[in-house]
Amino acid sequence: MELKVYCDRLSQPSRAILIFCKANNAEFEEVTIEIGKGQHRSPEYAEVNPMKQLPAIVHGDFKLFESHAILIYLASTLPGVADHWYPADVRERAKVHSVLDWHHTNLRRGSVGYLLNTVFAVAFGMPGDPKAAAEGEKLLLASLARIESFWLQGDGPFLLGNSKPTIADVALVCEVTQLEAADENDRDRILKPHTKILKWVEDVKSATAPHFEEIHATICSAREPLKKLKAQADHKSE
Amino acid sequence: MELKVYCDRLSQPSRAILIFCKANGIEFEEVKIDLGKGQHLSAEYEAVNPIKLVPAIVHGDFKLFESHAILIYLASAFPGVAHHWYPADIRERAKVHAVLDWHHSNLRRVGFIFNNTICLAFGIPANPEAAAKGEKLLSASLARIETFWLQEDGPFLLGNAKPTIADLALVCEIMQLEAGDKNDRDRILSPHKRVVKWMEDVKSASAPHFQEVHAIMGPVREKLEQLKIQAIENPE
Repeated sequence: MELKVYCDRLSQPSRAILIFCKANNAEFEEVTIEIGKGQHRSPEYAEVNPMKQLPAIVHGDFKLFESHAILIYLASTLPGVADHWYPADVRERAKVHSVLDWHHTNLRRGSVGYLLNTVFAVAFGMPGDPKAAAEGEKLLLASLARIESFWLQGDGPFLLGNSKPTIADVALVCEVTQLEAADENDRDRILKPHTKILKWVEDVKSATAPHFEEIHATICSAREPLKKLKAQADHKSE
Repeated sequence: MELKVYCDRLSQPSRAILIFCKANGIEFEEVKIDLGKGQHLSAEYEAVNPIKLVPAIVHGDFKLFESHAILIYLASAFPGVAHHWYPADIRERAKVHAVLDWHHSNLRRVGFIFNNTICLAFGIPANPEAAAKGEKLLSASLARIETFWLQEDGPFLLGNAKPTIADLALVCEIMQLEAGDKNDRDRILSPHKRVVKWMEDVKSASAPHFQEVHAIMGPVREKLEQLKIQAIENPE
């Protein structure tokens, strides 16, 4: 059965799904939908996902969006996926659900609020909202601290103290790596104090090598063009 | 094995879990954590949920928070739960996950009733600008439920013939409007006839527990009405 993943490597949840698929040797077709070019708003893409958001999958005749739902579906459906990604044990699975849910209202909300209003606003041709950026940064920092003090507690190096990664590790780490699009000074200011976070990112990278690095090439190379766009926008408004 | 549900009936996800447990004959102890009194910030509650939010459960030695994770756990861990609440089929289940996820960033995110009424219970002044933004997002979310999540095949979300945990979670969210001005609730809901019918269908499917758990909304509305009047009479 054919699996198509509609995604943009600039999108955090898109990367999580791509890394998961490749790390599990899934056969699939990556269909790039470029957010920057507004391709997610095309009538063709609306056929795939009427919510016009990324990522989405089509598996045979089955369409699905919302990245956590997709990760769970793929972990449950793809052949040969090791149990540690999405444990069969009801209690361990519940913990994975709880960190994925927490992610929506914390790390993701903070990260998006900060980056959309600082780095990405200019790319989308909108003015950034400094108040929203400040609120986003506050929530982002609180979320990183919470991951260190709570979610990374336990015996192993991964979320929930697990010795091997779950889909939650891939989902949350891809949010942290979105900071690669920001100015290095901002990224370092936010991340460097969180040594546990930095180690966890490295552990997830190793566990999904070489795919993690390969899929992150796009976001890492977005920093310079975004800086240029911002410089142009600042120059125009002077 | 003992199940304790730590909750406040003022909280939408708390109500969803209480109704689910009662509708499925799950034995549990309801432990009230009074949000208005700040009990969720106590050291005792921190031992239950370090994130200090409600609801949370303790089942034997197992602690869990985040209401969607709790609903899924209860549906999976208690054998008496009818399968329609959380289908075993991977694809049907994936659709339930998708609407629960959509809920986080849309219907749940709204902030209409919080910013014009419920905030007063926490000593926070009303924020009309945030409430106006919230109303816009609420209306858009309700429209999306009508045009996409409610389908032709059946009366419940995703066109299902019987409710899932997603129906309970989302309807309890919309019921939060009962805490505010009736005119606001009617203005916001009445254009969405399909949503209104769906809410009735969820109520019937989980009767009498839905009504019993929501009985608190009337007294809450009256109390908040008093707080609103006081706030107008004593502006800061």
